[in-house]
Amino acid sequence: MRLAAAFLVALLLQLGLTASHLWWVLAACQPLLLVVVATARRLDPVGVAWCGLAAGLASDAFAERIIGPGGIAGAVAGFAVALVVRRFEMEGPLYWIVGSLLVSACSELTWMLVLVTLGVRPDHTFSGVLATVVMTGAAGLVVAAGERALRAWQSPARHRRRVLRRL
Amino acid sequence: MVQLRFRPDLAIVVVCVGLYVGSAAQVRFPLGGTALSLAVPTISSPVLALGNAVGTTWQVFWSGQRNLRSTLGELRRLRLESAELHRANQLLSAEVTALRQGSRLLAAYPSLADQAVLARVIARDLPRTNTLRLDRGSRDGIQIDGPVLAEGGLVGRVDRVLEHACRVQLLTHPAAAAAAAVAGVQQEALLVGGDQPHLTGLSPYTQVPLETPVVSTGSEGIYPPGLLFGTTLEARNDGLFTVVPVRLAANAAEVTAVLVLAPASRGAT
Repeated sequence: MRLAAAFLVALLLQLGLTASHLWWVLAACQPLLLVVVATARRLDPVGVAWCGLAAGLASDAFAERIIGPGGIAGAVAGFAVALVVRRFEMEGPLYWIVGSLLVSACSELTWMLVLVTLGVRPDHTFSGVLATVVMTGAAGLVVAAGERALRAWQSPARHRRRVLRRL
Repeated sequence: MVQLRFRPDLAIVVVCVGLYVGSAAQVRFPLGGTALSLAVPTISSPVLALGNAVGTTWQVFWSGQRNLRSTLGELRRLRLESAELHRANQLLSAEVTALRQGSRLLAAYPSLADQAVLARVIARDLPRTNTLRLDRGSRDGIQIDGPVLAEGGLVGRVDRVLEHACRVQLLTHPAAAAAAAVAGVQQEALLVGGDQPHLTGLSPYTQVPLETPVVSTGSEGIYPPGLLFGTTLEARNDGLFTVVPVRLAANAAEVTAVLVLAPASRGAT
Protein backbone atom coordinates (compact mmCIF):
# COMPACT_ATOMS: atom_id res chain seq x y z
CA MET A 1 0.00 0.00 0.00
CA ARG A 2 2.77 2.36 0.93
CA LEU A 3 4.54 1.42 -2.26
CA ALA A 4 1.45 2.26 -4.29
CA ALA A 5 1.09 5.59 -2.51
CA ALA A 6 4.75 6.40 -3.07
CA PHE A 7 4.40 5.40 -6.68
CA LEU A 8 1.42 7.68 -7.16
CA VAL A 9 3.07 10.61 -5.41
CA ALA A 10 6.23 10.13 -7.46
CA LEU A 11 4.24 9.98 -10.66
CA LEU A 12 2.39 13.17 -9.84
CA LEU A 13 5.64 14.82 -8.84
CA GLN A 14 7.25 13.76 -12.09
CA LEU A 15 4.36 15.25 -13.99
CA GLY A 16 4.36 18.40 -11.91
CA LEU A 17 8.05 19.00 -12.42
CA THR A 18 7.43 19.59 -16.11
CA ALA A 19 5.31 22.65 -15.35
CA SER A 20 6.38 25.60 -17.42
CA HIS A 21 6.74 27.97 -14.48
CA LEU A 22 9.30 25.78 -12.79
CA TRP A 23 12.99 25.74 -13.54
CA TRP A 24 13.31 23.79 -16.79
CA VAL A 25 16.12 21.57 -15.49
CA LEU A 26 13.74 20.06 -12.94
CA ALA A 27 11.87 18.34 -15.75
CA ALA A 28 14.83 15.99 -16.13
CA CYS A 29 14.28 14.62 -12.64
CA GLN A 30 12.60 11.19 -12.48
CA PRO A 31 11.10 10.64 -9.03
CA LEU A 32 9.53 7.37 -10.22
CA LEU A 33 12.99 5.87 -10.44
CA LEU A 34 13.53 6.75 -6.79
CA VAL A 35 10.59 4.54 -5.95
CA VAL A 36 12.40 1.76 -7.75
CA VAL A 37 15.47 2.47 -5.64
CA ALA A 38 13.36 2.45 -2.51
CA THR A 39 12.02 -1.03 -3.31
CA ALA A 40 15.55 -2.40 -3.71
CA ARG A 41 15.85 -2.75 0.07
CA ARG A 42 12.65 -4.72 0.50
CA LEU A 43 12.13 -6.74 -2.65
CA ASP A 44 14.24 -9.26 -4.45
CA PRO A 45 15.84 -8.19 -7.79
CA VAL A 46 12.99 -9.58 -9.84
CA GLY A 47 10.46 -7.74 -7.69
CA VAL A 48 12.43 -4.54 -8.12
CA ALA A 49 12.52 -5.21 -11.84
CA TRP A 50 8.71 -5.48 -11.87
CA CYS A 51 8.52 -2.20 -10.04
CA GLY A 52 10.94 -0.64 -12.54
CA LEU A 53 8.86 -1.99 -15.37
CA ALA A 54 5.76 -0.33 -13.96
CA ALA A 55 7.61 2.90 -13.42
CA GLY A 56 8.99 2.87 -16.94
CA LEU A 57 5.62 2.14 -18.46
CA ALA A 58 4.02 4.94 -16.47
CA SER A 59 6.78 7.28 -17.60
CA ASP A 60 6.26 6.26 -21.20
CA ALA A 61 2.53 6.71 -20.95
CA PHE A 62 2.65 10.11 -19.34
CA ALA A 63 5.46 11.32 -21.56
CA GLU A 64 3.37 10.28 -24.55
CA ARG A 65 6.17 8.21 -25.98
CA ILE A 66 6.10 4.73 -27.47
CA ILE A 67 4.93 2.57 -24.59
CA GLY A 68 7.36 -0.22 -23.93
CA PRO A 69 10.99 0.87 -24.14
CA GLY A 70 10.68 2.77 -20.88
CA GLY A 71 9.24 -0.31 -19.19
CA ILE A 72 12.05 -2.51 -20.44
CA ALA A 73 14.59 0.09 -19.39
CA GLY A 74 12.98 0.40 -15.95
CA ALA A 75 13.00 -3.34 -15.46
CA VAL A 76 16.67 -3.63 -16.39
CA ALA A 77 17.60 -0.65 -14.21
CA GLY A 78 15.62 -2.01 -11.26
CA PHE A 79 17.23 -5.42 -11.55
CA ALA A 80 20.69 -3.88 -11.81
CA VAL A 81 20.25 -1.56 -8.87
CA ALA A 82 18.83 -4.35 -6.72
CA LEU A 83 21.83 -6.53 -7.53
CA VAL A 84 24.30 -3.78 -6.72
CA VAL A 85 22.56 -2.84 -3.49
CA ARG A 86 22.55 -6.46 -2.36
CA ARG A 87 26.06 -7.17 -3.50
CA PHE A 88 27.56 -4.15 -1.72
CA GLU A 89 25.05 -4.09 1.14
CA MET A 90 24.46 -0.40 0.72
CA GLU A 91 22.81 1.60 3.45
CA GLY A 92 22.13 5.18 4.32
CA PRO A 93 22.93 8.11 2.05
CA LEU A 94 25.25 6.03 -0.12
CA TYR A 95 22.39 3.71 -0.93
CA TRP A 96 20.19 6.54 -2.11
CA ILE A 97 22.85 8.44 -4.02
CA VAL A 98 24.46 5.47 -5.75
CA GLY A 99 21.09 3.87 -6.28
CA SER A 100 19.52 6.91 -7.90
CA LEU A 101 22.55 7.53 -10.10
CA LEU A 102 22.75 3.91 -11.12
CA VAL A 103 19.07 3.44 -11.79
CA SER A 104 18.81 6.60 -13.88
CA ALA A 105 21.96 5.83 -15.85
CA CYS A 106 20.91 2.22 -16.47
CA SER A 107 17.40 3.23 -17.40
CA GLU A 108 18.53 5.91 -19.84
CA LEU A 109 21.16 3.74 -21.49
CA THR A 110 18.82 0.78 -21.86
CA TRP A 111 16.09 3.01 -23.18
CA MET A 112 18.49 4.44 -25.76
CA LEU A 113 19.61 0.97 -26.72
CA VAL A 114 16.08 -0.28 -27.17
CA LEU A 115 15.17 2.70 -29.30
CA VAL A 116 18.23 2.20 -31.44
CA THR A 117 17.27 -1.41 -32.06
CA LEU A 118 13.77 -0.29 -32.96
CA GLY A 119 15.17 2.21 -35.41
CA VAL A 120 13.61 5.18 -33.65
CA ARG A 121 15.39 8.44 -33.11
CA PRO A 122 15.47 9.22 -29.36
CA ASP A 123 13.81 12.44 -28.25
CA HIS A 124 16.90 13.48 -26.33
CA THR A 125 20.61 13.00 -26.68
CA PHE A 126 23.59 12.67 -24.38
CA SER A 127 22.94 16.03 -22.70
CA GLY A 128 19.42 14.86 -21.83
CA VAL A 129 20.79 11.62 -20.41
CA LEU A 130 23.29 13.57 -18.36
CA ALA A 131 20.61 15.95 -17.10
CA THR A 132 18.41 13.03 -16.11
CA VAL A 133 21.20 11.28 -14.26
CA VAL A 134 22.28 14.45 -12.49
CA MET A 135 18.82 15.59 -11.49
CA THR A 136 17.71 12.14 -10.36
CA GLY A 137 20.95 11.82 -8.41
CA ALA A 138 20.25 15.19 -6.84
CA ALA A 139 16.78 14.02 -5.91
CA GLY A 140 18.33 10.93 -4.37
CA LEU A 141 20.60 13.15 -2.35
CA VAL A 142 17.62 15.13 -1.11
CA VAL A 143 15.81 11.94 -0.15
CA ALA A 144 18.91 10.69 1.65
CA ALA A 145 19.15 13.93 3.60
CA GLY A 146 15.47 13.77 4.43
CA GLU A 147 15.70 10.18 5.58
CA ARG A 148 18.68 10.98 7.77
CA ALA A 149 16.88 13.94 9.29
CA LEU A 150 13.79 11.78 9.93
CA ARG A 151 15.86 9.09 11.57
CA ALA A 152 17.58 11.64 13.76
CA TRP A 153 14.20 13.07 14.71
CA GLN A 154 12.76 9.66 15.56
CA SER A 155 15.86 8.26 17.18
CA PRO A 156 15.61 6.74 20.67
CA ALA A 157 18.59 8.84 21.75
CA ARG A 158 16.67 12.01 21.01
CA HIS A 159 13.67 10.63 22.80
CA ARG A 160 15.80 9.85 25.85
CA ARG A 161 17.28 13.34 25.81
CA ARG A 162 13.81 14.85 25.74
CA VAL A 163 12.67 12.70 28.62
CA LEU A 164 15.75 13.57 30.65
CA ARG A 165 15.21 17.24 29.99
CA ARG A 166 11.72 17.07 31.40
CA LEU A 167 12.85 15.44 34.61
CA MET B 1 -1.89 -32.46 -17.61
CA VAL B 2 0.85 -29.90 -17.53
CA GLN B 3 0.73 -27.69 -14.46
CA LEU B 4 1.66 -24.09 -15.19
CA ARG B 5 3.48 -22.32 -12.43
CA PHE B 6 4.01 -18.55 -12.37
CA ARG B 7 7.66 -17.71 -12.24
CA PRO B 8 8.22 -13.97 -11.84
CA ASP B 9 11.72 -14.06 -13.29
CA LEU B 10 10.58 -15.68 -16.46
CA ALA B 11 7.40 -13.66 -16.54
CA ILE B 12 9.21 -10.38 -16.55
CA VAL B 13 11.39 -11.50 -19.41
CA VAL B 14 8.32 -12.54 -21.34
CA VAL B 15 6.63 -9.24 -20.58
CA CYS B 16 9.70 -7.33 -21.69
CA VAL B 17 9.83 -9.25 -24.92
CA GLY B 18 6.15 -8.56 -25.38
CA LEU B 19 6.73 -4.89 -24.73
CA TYR B 20 9.51 -4.85 -27.26
CA VAL B 21 7.29 -6.41 -29.86
CA GLY B 22 4.55 -3.99 -28.94
CA SER B 23 6.96 -1.09 -29.25
CA ALA B 24 8.01 -2.25 -32.67
CA ALA B 25 4.37 -2.43 -33.65
CA GLN B 26 3.80 1.09 -32.37
CA VAL B 27 6.74 2.27 -34.45
CA ARG B 28 5.26 0.69 -37.54
CA PHE B 29 1.67 1.66 -36.79
CA PRO B 30 1.60 4.75 -34.60
CA LEU B 31 -1.30 4.96 -32.17
CA GLY B 32 -3.48 8.01 -32.21
CA GLY B 33 -6.69 9.10 -30.55
CA THR B 34 -6.65 6.30 -28.04
CA ALA B 35 -8.22 6.55 -24.63
CA LEU B 36 -4.76 6.82 -23.12
CA SER B 37 -3.85 9.82 -25.23
CA LEU B 38 -6.99 11.50 -23.92
CA ALA B 39 -6.48 10.38 -20.35
CA VAL B 40 -2.91 11.58 -20.03
CA PRO B 41 -3.64 15.29 -20.56
CA THR B 42 -6.69 15.05 -18.33
CA ILE B 43 -4.68 13.54 -15.49
CA SER B 44 -1.73 15.81 -16.12
CA SER B 45 -3.56 19.11 -16.21
CA PRO B 46 -4.30 19.55 -12.46
CA VAL B 47 -0.79 18.44 -11.57
CA LEU B 48 0.71 20.81 -14.08
CA ALA B 49 -1.54 23.59 -12.81
CA LEU B 50 -0.29 22.90 -9.30
CA GLY B 51 3.31 22.87 -10.54
CA ASN B 52 2.77 26.13 -12.35
CA ALA B 53 1.21 27.66 -9.28
CA VAL B 54 4.23 26.63 -7.24
CA GLY B 55 6.53 27.98 -9.94
CA THR B 56 4.67 31.25 -10.13
CA THR B 57 4.71 31.63 -6.37
CA TRP B 58 8.43 30.99 -6.33
CA GLN B 59 8.98 33.49 -9.13
CA VAL B 60 6.95 36.10 -7.25
CA PHE B 61 8.90 35.37 -4.11
CA TRP B 62 12.19 35.49 -5.98
CA SER B 63 11.34 38.71 -7.80
CA GLY B 64 10.27 40.12 -4.45
CA GLN B 65 13.64 39.20 -3.04
CA ARG B 66 15.33 40.73 -6.01
CA ASN B 67 13.23 43.86 -5.66
CA LEU B 68 14.10 44.06 -2.00
CA ARG B 69 17.75 43.77 -2.92
CA SER B 70 17.49 46.45 -5.59
CA THR B 71 15.51 48.64 -3.21
CA LEU B 72 18.21 48.31 -0.59
CA GLY B 73 20.81 49.13 -3.23
CA GLU B 74 18.80 52.16 -4.28
CA LEU B 75 18.51 53.24 -0.65
CA ARG B 76 22.27 52.92 -0.22
CA ARG B 77 22.85 54.91 -3.39
CA LEU B 78 20.40 57.60 -2.31
CA ARG B 79 22.06 57.83 1.09
CA LEU B 80 25.42 58.36 -0.57
CA GLU B 81 23.89 60.91 -2.89
CA SER B 82 22.25 62.64 0.04
CA ALA B 83 25.56 62.77 1.90
CA GLU B 84 27.21 64.17 -1.23
CA LEU B 85 24.49 66.80 -1.60
CA HIS B 86 24.76 67.64 2.08
CA ARG B 87 28.49 68.16 1.64
CA ALA B 88 27.94 70.25 -1.49
CA ASN B 89 25.31 72.24 0.35
CA GLN B 90 27.72 72.94 3.18
CA LEU B 91 30.35 74.05 0.69
CA LEU B 92 27.85 76.27 -1.07
CA SER B 93 26.72 77.70 2.25
CA ALA B 94 30.34 78.44 3.07
CA GLU B 95 30.71 80.07 -0.35
CA VAL B 96 27.65 82.19 0.23
CA THR B 97 28.90 83.18 3.67
CA ALA B 98 32.27 84.09 2.22
CA LEU B 99 30.65 86.06 -0.57
CA ARG B 100 28.46 87.91 1.87
CA GLN B 101 31.43 88.63 4.06
CA GLY B 102 33.38 89.82 1.05
CA SER B 103 30.49 91.97 -0.03
CA ARG B 104 30.20 93.54 3.41
CA LEU B 105 33.95 93.99 3.43
CA LEU B 106 33.92 95.87 0.15
CA ALA B 107 31.03 97.95 1.36
CA ALA B 108 32.83 98.76 4.60
CA TYR B 109 35.92 100.08 2.83
CA PRO B 110 34.71 101.62 -0.40
CA SER B 111 37.78 103.80 -0.76
CA LEU B 112 40.09 100.78 -0.62
CA ALA B 113 38.08 98.52 -2.85
CA ASP B 114 39.82 99.58 -6.04
CA GLN B 115 43.29 98.98 -4.68
CA ALA B 116 42.54 95.76 -2.85
CA VAL B 117 42.22 92.13 -3.74
CA LEU B 118 39.39 90.18 -2.25
CA ALA B 119 40.69 86.84 -1.02
CA ARG B 120 39.29 83.85 0.72
CA VAL B 121 40.85 82.16 3.69
CA ILE B 122 41.69 78.61 2.69
CA ALA B 123 43.63 77.57 5.75
CA ARG B 124 44.31 78.86 9.21
CA ASP B 125 46.80 77.85 11.84
CA LEU B 126 46.15 80.00 14.84
CA PRO B 127 47.54 77.89 17.67
CA ARG B 128 50.97 77.17 16.21
CA THR B 129 52.06 79.64 13.55
CA ASN B 130 49.44 82.41 13.88
CA THR B 131 48.96 82.52 10.14
CA LEU B 132 46.23 82.39 7.57
CA ARG B 133 46.51 81.06 4.06
CA LEU B 134 44.65 82.91 1.33
CA ASP B 135 43.62 81.74 -2.11
CA ARG B 136 45.27 84.64 -3.90
CA GLY B 137 48.91 84.94 -4.82
CA SER B 138 51.38 86.83 -6.93
CA ARG B 139 49.31 86.20 -10.06
CA ASP B 140 46.57 88.24 -8.47
CA GLY B 141 48.86 91.10 -7.57
CA ILE B 142 49.49 90.14 -3.98
CA GLN B 143 52.84 91.30 -2.73
CA ILE B 144 54.72 90.76 0.43
CA ASP B 145 53.84 93.03 3.36
CA GLY B 146 50.43 93.74 1.91
CA PRO B 147 48.07 94.65 4.77
CA VAL B 148 45.20 92.28 5.25
CA LEU B 149 41.89 93.68 6.27
CA ALA B 150 38.88 91.83 7.54
CA GLU B 151 35.39 93.14 8.03
CA GLY B 152 36.09 94.09 11.63
CA GLY B 153 39.49 95.57 11.10
CA LEU B 154 43.10 94.75 10.34
CA VAL B 155 44.16 91.12 10.60
CA GLY B 156 47.83 91.17 9.74
CA ARG B 157 50.15 91.37 6.79
CA VAL B 158 51.26 89.11 4.00
CA ASP B 159 54.55 87.51 4.87
CA ARG B 160 54.86 84.92 2.11
CA VAL B 161 53.62 84.98 -1.44
CA LEU B 162 53.22 82.07 -3.81
CA GLU B 163 51.83 82.12 -7.29
CA HIS B 164 48.31 81.12 -6.31
CA ALA B 165 48.33 81.60 -2.57
CA CYS B 166 49.82 83.70 0.14
CA ARG B 167 50.35 83.51 3.86
CA VAL B 168 49.25 86.14 6.33
CA GLN B 169 51.10 86.82 9.53
CA LEU B 170 48.42 87.68 12.05
CA LEU B 171 48.63 90.47 14.54
CA THR B 172 48.65 87.78 17.22
CA HIS B 173 51.97 86.52 15.90
CA PRO B 174 54.69 87.14 18.49
CA ALA B 175 56.80 88.91 15.87
CA ALA B 176 54.02 91.18 14.66
CA ALA B 177 54.31 94.88 15.28
CA ALA B 178 52.57 97.97 13.98
CA ALA B 179 52.42 101.66 14.67
CA ALA B 180 49.12 102.54 16.31
CA ALA B 181 47.28 105.34 17.95
CA VAL B 182 44.56 105.39 20.52
CA ALA B 183 41.71 107.75 19.90
CA GLY B 184 41.99 110.67 22.28
CA VAL B 185 45.66 110.00 23.06
CA GLN B 186 48.22 112.16 21.37
CA GLN B 187 51.14 109.78 21.51
CA GLU B 188 51.82 107.14 18.97
CA ALA B 189 52.27 103.64 20.31
CA LEU B 190 53.60 100.35 19.12
CA LEU B 191 51.19 97.48 18.81
CA VAL B 192 53.07 94.31 19.63
CA GLY B 193 51.71 90.87 18.83
CA GLY B 194 51.42 87.82 21.02
CA ASP B 195 48.66 85.88 22.64
CA GLN B 196 47.42 89.15 24.00
CA PRO B 197 48.44 91.97 21.64
CA HIS B 198 49.22 95.15 23.47
CA LEU B 199 50.28 98.72 22.97
CA THR B 200 53.57 99.81 24.36
CA GLY B 201 55.73 102.90 24.05
CA LEU B 202 53.25 105.16 25.77
CA SER B 203 54.56 107.39 28.56
CA PRO B 204 54.02 106.12 32.08
CA TYR B 205 50.70 106.87 33.62
CA THR B 206 49.09 107.76 30.33
CA GLN B 207 45.37 107.74 30.76
CA VAL B 208 43.89 105.38 28.24
CA PRO B 209 40.15 104.94 28.43
CA LEU B 210 38.67 101.48 28.15
CA GLU B 211 37.14 100.32 24.90
CA THR B 212 38.78 103.06 22.91
CA PRO B 213 39.51 102.34 19.26
CA VAL B 214 43.09 101.63 18.34
CA VAL B 215 43.90 102.55 14.75
CA SER B 216 46.90 102.34 12.51
CA THR B 217 49.10 105.36 11.89
CA GLY B 218 51.15 104.00 8.99
CA SER B 219 54.47 105.00 10.51
CA GLU B 220 55.90 101.49 10.12
CA GLY B 221 55.26 101.69 6.36
CA ILE B 222 53.00 98.69 6.12
CA TYR B 223 49.49 99.48 7.31
CA PRO B 224 47.56 102.41 5.90
CA PRO B 225 46.66 104.95 8.53
CA GLY B 226 43.24 105.11 10.04
CA LEU B 227 42.39 101.42 9.93
CA LEU B 228 41.08 99.78 13.04
CA PHE B 229 43.20 97.35 14.98
CA GLY B 230 40.90 96.88 17.93
CA THR B 231 39.89 98.40 21.22
CA THR B 232 41.76 99.02 24.38
CA LEU B 233 41.49 97.04 27.56
CA GLU B 234 42.63 98.11 31.02
CA ALA B 235 46.00 99.89 30.84
CA ARG B 236 48.81 99.28 33.30
CA ASN B 237 52.26 100.66 33.96
CA ASP B 238 55.13 98.38 33.13
CA GLY B 239 58.50 99.98 33.90
CA LEU B 240 58.96 103.05 31.76
CA PHE B 241 55.89 102.58 29.64
CA THR B 242 52.19 102.30 29.91
CA VAL B 243 51.10 99.01 28.46
CA VAL B 244 47.63 98.72 27.05
CA PRO B 245 46.26 95.33 26.10
CA VAL B 246 44.24 95.43 22.92
CA ARG B 247 41.25 93.36 21.94
CA LEU B 248 41.58 92.88 18.21
CA ALA B 249 38.57 93.89 16.17
CA ALA B 250 38.84 91.06 13.69
CA ASN B 251 38.61 87.55 15.02
CA ALA B 252 41.00 85.53 12.91
CA ALA B 253 39.22 82.35 13.89
CA GLU B 254 36.05 83.46 12.11
CA VAL B 255 37.38 85.40 9.18
CA THR B 256 36.55 83.80 5.83
CA ALA B 257 37.07 86.67 3.42
CA VAL B 258 39.63 89.43 3.57
CA LEU B 259 40.87 92.36 1.58
CA VAL B 260 44.53 92.34 0.75
CA LEU B 261 45.61 95.84 0.16
CA ALA B 262 48.04 96.60 -2.58
CA PRO B 263 51.39 97.94 -1.55
CA ALA B 264 50.57 101.09 -3.42
CA SER B 265 48.05 101.87 -0.73
CA ARG B 266 50.78 102.13 1.86
CA GLY B 267 51.04 105.83 1.53
CA ALA B 268 47.36 106.47 1.08
CA THR B 269 45.59 108.39 3.80
